[in-house]
Amino acid sequence: MAPMNPLPKRFFPALLLPGLFLLTPTSAWALQSHGGSEGIFVHQLAHLFYAAALAYLFWDIGRSAFPGRGWRYLQVFCVFMILWNLVAFTGHWLGFYIANTDIVRPSGYFSSQLVGPFSSIKIIYFCATLDHLFSLPAIFFLFLSLRTLYHSVKKEDEK
Amino acid sequence: MNALPLSLSIVTDMAGSLLIIVFSFLALRYAWLLLRKQPENFLWGFLLYFCMTLASFAISRAIGHLVKHILLFSGKPEIWQILSPISGGINTLLMTSLGAVTIYYHKGIEGYLAINKKARSLKDANDQLGIAAAQLQEMNLHLEEKVADRTMELSASEKKFRNFFNNSKDMVFFSNSANHLLTMNNAGFKMLGYHDDESPSLNLVDVFNNEDELETYHNALKSQGFIEDMEIEFTKADGTSFPVLLSATAVSDEKNQLVGCEGIAKDLTRVKTMMEQLVASEKMASVGQMAAGVAHEINTPLGIILGYAQLMRDDFTQESEEGQNLSIIERQAKACRKIVADLLKFSRQSESARKDLSINEVLTDVIAVTQHSLNMDHINVHEDLADDLPPVIGDTERLRQVFINLVNNAHHAMEQQGSGELTIITRYLPDTHQVVATVQDTGHGIPEKIRKRIFDPFFTTKPVGKGTGLGLSVSYGIIQDHGGQIEVESPVAGDKGTAFHVKFPISLVEAASVRE
Repeated sequence: MAPMNPLPKRFFPALLLPGLFLLTPTSAWALQSHGGSEGIFVHQLAHLFYAAALAYLFWDIGRSAFPGRGWRYLQVFCVFMILWNLVAFTGHWLGFYIANTDIVRPSGYFSSQLVGPFSSIKIIYFCATLDHLFSLPAIFFLFLSLRTLYHSVKKEDEK
Repeated sequence: MNALPLSLSIVTDMAGSLLIIVFSFLALRYAWLLLRKQPENFLWGFLLYFCMTLASFAISRAIGHLVKHILLFSGKPEIWQILSPISGGINTLLMTSLGAVTIYYHKGIEGYLAINKKARSLKDANDQLGIAAAQLQEMNLHLEEKVADRTMELSASEKKFRNFFNNSKDMVFFSNSANHLLTMNNAGFKMLGYHDDESPSLNLVDVFNNEDELETYHNALKSQGFIEDMEIEFTKADGTSFPVLLSATAVSDEKNQLVGCEGIAKDLTRVKTMMEQLVASEKMASVGQMAAGVAHEINTPLGIILGYAQLMRDDFTQESEEGQNLSIIERQAKACRKIVADLLKFSRQSESARKDLSINEVLTDVIAVTQHSLNMDHINVHEDLADDLPPVIGDTERLRQVFINLVNNAHHAMEQQGSGELTIITRYLPDTHQVVATVQDTGHGIPEKIRKRIFDPFFTTKPVGKGTGLGLSVSYGIIQDHGGQIEVESPVAGDKGTAFHVKFPISLVEAASVRE
């Protein structure tokens, strides 16, 4: 049997660096920790991203000049949805400025009240809690848009 | 105002969440129906994904909000504290997804539009192909009919031109660059004196009578491509020549090289004859006018000479020398007066009585008068008179004079040979509404060199004193005066004999009844 070749001399320094990391892992900082406020940041960014995407969709529908009422309804959906995003974004943001003492529940959850003294932040926050006044019409126009598109396609097919 | 009720927000939130779920699912349904109707349409695909994500977001958010309200309402906020980040995380994730779906939609749209453009282009090409295929099918279906129609049209056209070629009374020919006549119609062969069953191989060199004319013809074709109304002479099969009017067009190949020609030639013999007759007629008319003038001037002094001679003769006896001289003067003066009278007749100066008459009767009278002297010289008279000859308008006496002249001329032509045959023929020519009377003899004939002069006044071949040279001139004048024509043919049959054909128009009444 032929004798085995000895390992090359330069192989040992190459093993040295990984060995050091494995043997002393305490100060490596390989993973970033995510604090409590990161969630709301991500959520706010998602609102902005979604609003920007809707603005783009609105512009692109106009640019592409798709004909028919269905596409116009879709543009209305975009407008309401963008407004909802902005309202929701504002509501989340102003939530930071509302203290626990600003909301009282004299007789249970349903009797919750926003108490004074009232600043513009508090009033805007209160309005922002009614964000469904934008999101509901938005979804309604989306429904109208899809229904109109469907009927126009159906009518065209029947010709 | 000390407080704002948040119950409004809670109610709005709960009702809104429920309605959003309802409407988002209704929208999803229509998106699905759209895609099912047009699965190939990218836009409906995008809207379906968008609605699916939105419906998921609506459910996630609405359920989250409802659960929150329920838990807070039932006084279990700690549970909501646990669920809140999960619900918020899912909402954030779905909202981001909605944004991503919307943002990436434009790439899809571009792709869809590009595919749509290609598809439209393919569809157009397909439509065109369909139309072409339909046309091809239609063409195939009617190809046989079209071929048959075209063949029929071609055949009709070919027949039309073939008939024109065959039935033309003029020569129509095609020749190659070496002057060989490739094709020629029957009229051409007939014009050149060949029989119908003959089709000799001819060259233009054989046909043209004059080489210079052939060269001129070639030069014109080469230089200008055609030749028009060229008056030349062609050579017949028997070597004689005749005038023709030739028009021809050069035939060239794609390199503009002369490869042959196509030509039409018209026989001018008849035209030339007519022209000669016209010239002769003009000449006779002028001679007649001159003769009338001379006769009128001579007639008066001649009458005085004759009168004085007759008066003086009464003073002398017939036997005396003076009486005999005066008789000679009287006789010669009378001869002069007869010549003058003949001149006047030639120039149509004398009066005449016209009526409907039968040429047969005139000829019968003439034969009766002349037959005795003809028989004396062993000349047999043959009559071939048509039975149903229509009448002509004329002066009997003057026409009788014409035929007596013609019979006398025939007599003189035959008397030297000791015998002969005189044939008198009458016929009706329905095509021209004319009556033709022919006086034909078997005499020595008229030499060609004098044939054109026989109607000239004072032209005679008889010895001096035997004829005045006015007989045929006077006859010519009388016939012209009757609207007729006189033609001479010599030799007639074989190599001797002469025939005079005298043609008269039939009377107008008769002509009208014939036309009816």
